[in-house]
Amino acid sequence: MATQEEDYLGITDYKVIGTRPIRHDGVDKVTGRAKYGADIDLAGMLHGKVLRSPHAHARIKSIDISKAEAHPGVRSVITVKDLPLQEDQIKDLGEGAANLMDLRCNVLAEGKVLYHGHAVVAVAATDANVAEEALDLIDVEYEVLSPVLTVHDATAEGAPLLFENQTTKSLGEDTGKKSNVTTHFQHKLGDVEAGFEKADIVVEREFDTATVHQGYIEPQNATALWNADGQVTVWCSTQGAFTVREQTAQLLDLPVSQVKVVPMEIGGGFGGKIRVYLEPLAAVLSKKTGRPVKMVMSRTEVLQATGPTAGSYIKCKMGVTNEGKIVAAQATLMYESGGFPGNWAAPGSMCIFSPYNIADVQIDGYEVLVNKPQTMAYRAPGATNAAFASETVIDEICEALGADPFEFRLQNTSKEGTRRADGPTFPRIGNEECLQLARETDHYKSKLEGKARGRGVASGFWFNAGLKSSASASVNADGKISLVEGSTDIGGSRAALAMQLAETLGLKSEDIKPQVADTDSVGETDVTGGSRTTFATGWAVHKVGLDIKAQMIERAAKLWEVAAEEVSYVDGVLTNSADASKQMTFAELAGKLGETGGPVMGRATVQPPGVGGAFSTVIVDVEVDTETGKVEILRASIIQDVGKAIHPSYVEGQMQGGVAQGIGWALNEEYVYREDGTLANGSLLDYRMPTCLDLPMIETHIVEVPNPGHPYGVRGVGEVPIVPPPAAVANAIYDAIGVRLFDLPMSPGRVLEALLKKD
Amino acid sequence: MNAFEYVNPSNLQDVPQLLSQKRDRKSVVMAGGIDLLGELKDNLITPDRLVNIKALDLRYIRHSKEGVRMGATTTLSDLVSDEEIVKTYTALAEAAESVASLQIRNVGTIGGNLCQRPRCWYFRGEEFHCLKKGGHKCFAVDGENKYHAVMGGGPCHIVHPSDTAPALIALHATIKIHGPNGERTVPAADFFLLPMENLYQETVVHSNEVVTEIFIPKPKAGTKSTYLKFKEKGSMDFALAAAAVALRVEGGVCKDVQVVLGGVAPKPWQADASALVGQVVTEERVVAFANTVLKDAAPLRDNAFKVTLSKTMIKRGVLALV
Repeated sequence: MATQEEDYLGITDYKVIGTRPIRHDGVDKVTGRAKYGADIDLAGMLHGKVLRSPHAHARIKSIDISKAEAHPGVRSVITVKDLPLQEDQIKDLGEGAANLMDLRCNVLAEGKVLYHGHAVVAVAATDANVAEEALDLIDVEYEVLSPVLTVHDATAEGAPLLFENQTTKSLGEDTGKKSNVTTHFQHKLGDVEAGFEKADIVVEREFDTATVHQGYIEPQNATALWNADGQVTVWCSTQGAFTVREQTAQLLDLPVSQVKVVPMEIGGGFGGKIRVYLEPLAAVLSKKTGRPVKMVMSRTEVLQATGPTAGSYIKCKMGVTNEGKIVAAQATLMYESGGFPGNWAAPGSMCIFSPYNIADVQIDGYEVLVNKPQTMAYRAPGATNAAFASETVIDEICEALGADPFEFRLQNTSKEGTRRADGPTFPRIGNEECLQLARETDHYKSKLEGKARGRGVASGFWFNAGLKSSASASVNADGKISLVEGSTDIGGSRAALAMQLAETLGLKSEDIKPQVADTDSVGETDVTGGSRTTFATGWAVHKVGLDIKAQMIERAAKLWEVAAEEVSYVDGVLTNSADASKQMTFAELAGKLGETGGPVMGRATVQPPGVGGAFSTVIVDVEVDTETGKVEILRASIIQDVGKAIHPSYVEGQMQGGVAQGIGWALNEEYVYREDGTLANGSLLDYRMPTCLDLPMIETHIVEVPNPGHPYGVRGVGEVPIVPPPAAVANAIYDAIGVRLFDLPMSPGRVLEALLKKD
Repeated sequence: MNAFEYVNPSNLQDVPQLLSQKRDRKSVVMAGGIDLLGELKDNLITPDRLVNIKALDLRYIRHSKEGVRMGATTTLSDLVSDEEIVKTYTALAEAAESVASLQIRNVGTIGGNLCQRPRCWYFRGEEFHCLKKGGHKCFAVDGENKYHAVMGGGPCHIVHPSDTAPALIALHATIKIHGPNGERTVPAADFFLLPMENLYQETVVHSNEVVTEIFIPKPKAGTKSTYLKFKEKGSMDFALAAAAVALRVEGGVCKDVQVVLGGVAPKPWQADASALVGQVVTEERVVAFANTVLKDAAPLRDNAFKVTLSKTMIKRGVLALV
């Protein structure tokens, strides 16, 4: 394996990378011609609907589907009994893992319902209205149980248990203690007790954050056709066609090769479109009816039964010397798992103190079952909650020391060689460069004046993912290249991949025609998640380019009757080094492939190890209306190390999108559960996501510290921008009104009550 | 959503008959359909018939020296873009403009805005058979009640969601209703009902009646009005607290003032502002007035902040016109 130092090519005169060409999928998107899952219409297609639990926690005593089955137009009604049994076995989903037994019970409840909206029965009928009518004819008898809705409720003495035999696994050992806490893990670096003894100032605070949803605009959907020959095709909206194939095949007890997943255009995912919900149901309904079956969730179903990301309780303690050195840090992270075990406390623990070089650290994480939908990844999952805690404590420390927040952070910054509490030692990272640039921005240097106005800053880390990617490309006779890759395109990745291939081959972005392929048409590719696509699939297309380049050189050598070593390839032009008058452009040679041995195709699969961690810093100015509690964002800037911005516009778009979602999380967004555990605000009217009308233009500053583990220095971009905003907003609110808020969201009511308490 | 019949009468006289309720048949009026569609999709109502009133020629704004007449299906956008309404009946224009989004204002009507159903998440939640739906309990009392009423609540604690209603009451509007016995006209101030008066409907409009017209008398010269709305989210949201204010000051002295709150009670909450009449309007007096208006407020567990918000809206609304 190549060392990381050798991976980065160190190119300084990019031709394509760093430019802003029109994205390849742009025209389809702006003209409304792009095909999404809900656009699918197949001959003889049936429509499926799901009956969901009206209770947050209940035992299913009986299900009577006979009336629904007899309803005119209904073709099939299924329950969990129609899904093959599963073993208690963990499967990797790309970004997070799933237990197949749990996955089966999540797509259709067995024995118990564990959250409001938990799927119980699925129906296929001739149209969606008939299917909905049929849902009303299903009788489910429940024995309603008390729900637990927060980590505090769930861990209280005598709390109702979601799973009666669930015990806590602590530091790898089964404690045998029955509890909703499924896992306790710990990271230790140095000796935290000794570290705190060296501290002159110690700040310890407790934080609660609300459950929030990813808020992708396109609801989940799936259409499946189980053909008479046993071949299953699934069309759906997903971040990873291969993980849908894997999960669907497992749940249906089929070999993976028998399932083909066609990823449609995707209207957002943010981590929430990795787990299957509808795909296996549509497939089973199709098997039973012999017809294609389409299922599309309503917004309420999306909010009730998909996503969300964990609400959490975090205790965070940090110690510094009077000279401003952080000497010790300790945190307890308790995250909601939702109705099934597993969550993102672990990545939260990997991020919470990673912007800093701290010798003595201890982090304890707890995964806690609650009667909410099984939590799913959300843009740097776990890290935003964690940074809200640590970056608020840091702000309080800066205040105690009278230190500038950037000077303090620079004094303690993590950099190449710093050891993270969870083990890894940082390779080259751009944390320090972000802080240096942030300090010099016009925003930070500007004076903020006015009553009840304040400025806050915060930093964040996300480690990013590598995983597997595959791509292939064929050279057309006109010199253009058809690129086939397996990463579903959420944030402009087709453009970013085509541009890397163009750069490698010395061609133009528009010479490449990228397409996202189904699972039968491209090698295995993990999810578009972990900010990995431009990095890892980018690696793959770079290797595809090298493969094509080598073959084209051979073809030119053949034409010129020289050895391949005699042919140079520069900026898409092939030259015979022995006779410089012999030159051909890539396109000219492409037209001669027939006479030199036939078509040229390049291919590559990669699993690159050199993942580059990402840092960002956010500066926010707010104005607080002290008579209403309303927080207005006056100005927001993000400074982020992206390694190398392939298409800067889409990089900026990711940065702005992350900050926008982070601000929503900070100020408005929360799942409100009524006392019986039913979701009160299952619509976008009552679940308040900010719109562009609620935000100022978010200023972006791209820092480029190349990732040594990628030929073009790419790091991941998509996730880390959501990490600092809630803390930055909280710190700005404190600066404005002198009140610290420790709970999210910081909605007007909460701010107003905090102000009243202060007075 | 259930299957239903859709009728499109072109004659107002036919409407009461079309709306008449038989034992197992329910009919509802449809104008813009904005709130109605939500009610249908949330299974809040399962009507057998929708009576569309958009073919009735009720979309008009007619100015005269007496005042302005607006047909019930006049859209909120129509109101916002009518210069005379903006100038003379400012509170109404501002209230209309504060509703939801442009797309919704282009479709939503003034009649529909007055007759929309409350947003209470127990009322809207299919799982809750609350008082308003014939049940035995207002779940907001012990439940998640941060958006609920702080005044006029009990036994049900909804807030009325209309933005235009407080403005119309502040401007002394009257509302014309057509029913089986012909027309009747009701002052906007008497149009809404508290739950203690009627649990199941928020207005005096019976199920076989339809709102046809709103009339606002021309305010006395020198009257200014405004609508101030506080939303949890800046864009596209309902009021957490709002104040419609109409004020006439002569020679520095308040001659007439109307203050109506939105978003805080089960109906638009008309404050008795007589204490301000004959006075010079100062911040101190307005604050004292706001405190008086809210002195009997009875907040629930999570919504005491709405009392403060309401006072702020009153203070800012009145002072904005001085």
